[in-house]
Amino acid sequence: MLYKIMVKYCVQTNNLSHTFSSGEMVLKDINLYVPEGSIYGFLGANGAGKTTTLKLILGLLKLQQGTVHIFGKLMAQHRLQILQKIGSLIESPSLYAHLTAIENLQVMQKVFQCKKSRITEALQLVGLSDTGNKKVQHFSLGMKQRLSIALSLLHQPSLLILDEPTNGLDPTGIIEMRELLRKLNQMQGITIIISSHLLSEIEKLVTHIGVINKGNLLFQGTLQQLEQCQQQGSYTVIATNNEVAALRLIRNMDMAATTQKGKIILPVISNEQLAAINTQLVSNGLSVYEITTVKNNLETIFINMINS
Amino acid sequence: MIRSFIHCFKSEWLKTRRTTAFWLVVSGGLFIPAILIAIRIINSNELVAIYKSIFFWENLFSKSWQIMAVFLLPMGVILSTSLLTQIEYRNNTWKQLHTTPQRYSLIFVTKLTVILVMMLQFFVLFNLGIYLSGIIPALFYNNIHFSAQPIPYMRFLKINVQFFIDCLPIVALQLLIALQFKNFMISLGAGIGLLVASMFAVQWKYGYTIPYTYTTYNFLAMKTKELQNIIGVNIHVMAISYFVIITVVSYVLYIYKSEKG
Repeated sequence: MLYKIMVKYCVQTNNLSHTFSSGEMVLKDINLYVPEGSIYGFLGANGAGKTTTLKLILGLLKLQQGTVHIFGKLMAQHRLQILQKIGSLIESPSLYAHLTAIENLQVMQKVFQCKKSRITEALQLVGLSDTGNKKVQHFSLGMKQRLSIALSLLHQPSLLILDEPTNGLDPTGIIEMRELLRKLNQMQGITIIISSHLLSEIEKLVTHIGVINKGNLLFQGTLQQLEQCQQQGSYTVIATNNEVAALRLIRNMDMAATTQKGKIILPVISNEQLAAINTQLVSNGLSVYEITTVKNNLETIFINMINS
Repeated sequence: MIRSFIHCFKSEWLKTRRTTAFWLVVSGGLFIPAILIAIRIINSNELVAIYKSIFFWENLFSKSWQIMAVFLLPMGVILSTSLLTQIEYRNNTWKQLHTTPQRYSLIFVTKLTVILVMMLQFFVLFNLGIYLSGIIPALFYNNIHFSAQPIPYMRFLKINVQFFIDCLPIVALQLLIALQFKNFMISLGAGIGLLVASMFAVQWKYGYTIPYTYTTYNFLAMKTKELQNIIGVNIHVMAISYFVIITVVSYVLYIYKSEKG
């Protein structure tokens, strides 16, 4: 708690809950803490409540319970001031299909009253400078996604809220998007909240992670903290021709070991300890078939969190 | 506040570029005059008498408004209001608009203003078309001499203002329905239904309770000038009253909508 007080949070929600008109409670006491200057990965399966949370933060859904603070200010009371500094992409791209890329940006440029030169800069950032008079209705999904990012960056926001921004992008596009977001965060100090159901994408980019499932926040912390869970969840497997004898020998070496499906299971140990075990087993006449270290990858951790 | 309104208006106006509503206003304004020009060029037999009449401009004005007032104008208002409001639904851009640093009231007022300005555009185009439908046929035939009577601008302006006012409740109701329902067919269906009902209601003694009758009543008043005595109410005051009440209701429903995305 003291740590939370000392760290400056760009976005902070307190006891955020939401129930749809059908009576279904989709969010339960969500307490999100997004540190300033971080890239916060908001992870969850489809239907977990990611988009609902982001919509509540942005004021697109009426707050039923809880509060939302952004830049240290209550969203309900300082909506206009706060939105001036936020760029967002929620669900599918919001673009005027009958207008060109430049016209779409002009629509926003007039609202935010930013310099007209920002239109060209934003299009260059996302690689859409050459679309000319092509109307958005003729864009591919990837182009629409990139234009949506350009729209969110147009007014140089301090906070970016992106809901699954890599949808529809090819692998090159995904890499470029990742590099762009990393650059914006590092060079301009923009705080970024990025939601996704793809852990592999999130873990390559973010500094902090929040995991949500069925409306509950299961984990929130730094990527290092999540990786510690990964290390804690890893183990060593040893297969021999006589697991009973092997187990006895290993336990005599003061190591905690169990058996599972005919194999010895140990916590992760150093290479030297592994070598010592191997020498001990072989010198006692046992045949060693397998020594493997199994790393509990982040996907397994994520699935275990959701299932538990 | 005014500066914000101007910026918001420019942004909203840009969204109407190349839309169906935009082309509807342009084609709607010039449609009747174009037909009149074609008819007069093809049927030139009566043109000499028509152009000699001292009531040339009044007759042309009345003829042009005949079909427009009863059907095309209210239908055009229904369609363009619904289409303009639908821009955000069709493009899934309400969530983008509602995360801009603009008050909801400003967004509402600006959208209404855009619709009214487009309606004004229509009136300007239509009157320009009427003027051209008077000038152009005469250019085709040397034996046609223009009546020297001046155009009664003030009378025509007054009638145009009255028609504009009579369209206001249609704009307000269509805007209310279109803002509340994503499905375009609902606002269109409601508008067409009320328009058809108004065609029957014109002969009903309480027909003035349906605002979609007002353009027809106004056209009839152009000819009889005794309409107020016949129906017993000032339809223009009724139109403004309906417009204010429906707009306030529409505004409240829009502001308090729980889902803005």
